[in-house]
Amino acid sequence: MADDWTDLIGVADLTTGWVTRVDLGARPLAVYHTPTGIYVSLALCNHGGADLCDGYMDGHLIECPLHQGAFDVRTGAPIGAPATRAMKTFPVRIENGRVQIRLKG
Amino acid sequence: MPDPIITPLTQALAEQKLTRAELRALMQRSNLPAAWRLLVWIAVLAATSALIWAAWDSWLIWPAMFVHGIVLVHHFSLQHECVHYTVFRTRWLNDLVGNICGFIIILPHQFFRYEHCDHHTHTQIVGDDPEMVPMPETFGQYLWYLSAIPYWRTKITELLRHGAGRLTPHERRFTPKSAERVVIGEARLMLGFYIALFGIMAITGWWAPLWFWLIPLILGEPVMRFIRMTEHVGRPTVAQMSDNTRTNLVSLPWRFLAWNMNYHAEHHYVASVPFHALPRLHEKLRDHVHVQPGGYIGAHRDILAQMRHGG
Repeated sequence: MADDWTDLIGVADLTTGWVTRVDLGARPLAVYHTPTGIYVSLALCNHGGADLCDGYMDGHLIECPLHQGAFDVRTGAPIGAPATRAMKTFPVRIENGRVQIRLKG
Repeated sequence: MPDPIITPLTQALAEQKLTRAELRALMQRSNLPAAWRLLVWIAVLAATSALIWAAWDSWLIWPAMFVHGIVLVHHFSLQHECVHYTVFRTRWLNDLVGNICGFIIILPHQFFRYEHCDHHTHTQIVGDDPEMVPMPETFGQYLWYLSAIPYWRTKITELLRHGAGRLTPHERRFTPKSAERVVIGEARLMLGFYIALFGIMAITGWWAPLWFWLIPLILGEPVMRFIRMTEHVGRPTVAQMSDNTRTNLVSLPWRFLAWNMNYHAEHHYVASVPFHALPRLHEKLRDHVHVQPGGYIGAHRDILAQMRHGG
């Protein structure tokens, strides 16, 4: 079976303790560098469509720049209104200093 | 999944008015600046309350209550900042303080939050912006708005409607379905609180809340209406943030009371920037936003001039 991990960005290219945007084809992704590791989600807020990569990040919290709705980047769980639905996150691994995600599963 | 939208912030970054590093620095939050400001805030409230106490047996109680009311109505500015979670780094402190402010000025916090989010999405778009103050067509309409009578009528009706378990179709558009019970619950809690307060005052004969809180609130609200008009009224009814919002440069006491919300265009550009960083954001964006000469008075001169010339 072919390797189903998709290469995104070098760990060294991430902003420490912050969010970095990576475009995977037409799909914008948000890569979070946190105290407990690296997490990845879709970049657009599922409430209003704003780019979470322009938002405020604090620990494991990412806050939408438009309405300040918030999500836990580890699980995608909404933790602040008006975000009410979990955001899509992806399994992540670090391979040879590169951030990789599994798009399916 | 909603369609992607271009926020003013995304636009500002794309146009290199701000770099990501600058944005990150401006967004940093802390509990300390708000803690200091709140200490001064409480001291100012104590001082203006003392004015009422000192003027108790004279006609001067009315100007004293007006001055105290000006401070009280500015709890709106603090509550507004809490809506954006930018007062404190600790998120729940924003909810706590925002709710306290809401009880002080009779503005349920969660509903205001949802409504205000929609205001940021549809700023100055006629029919969509739920906080839009229409441009007055006559001097009578201008004074009527400043009286705050239409404001109180709208807000009390809204509170009673939510307390009765009803939201309008427009309110349902911006209130998540799962939050409707919260909006209804907080309205009932607030109504219960005020009914209990009046009950206690009537039974005990202790009317201090009326003289130190509710009458000053009513006397001061026209000042808040005067300030709220300066934010968007008379600016073009378009989505372009550099056009539809005013920044008003005002003196230190007004900036203090407004929690720097006079930097309103900057706030709309990047609502995640805390109040204490807005003056620094202003330095970055001052050439890209509408800065009104003459502050609040200048904004009203502009509104009145437009009114005289038919908008």
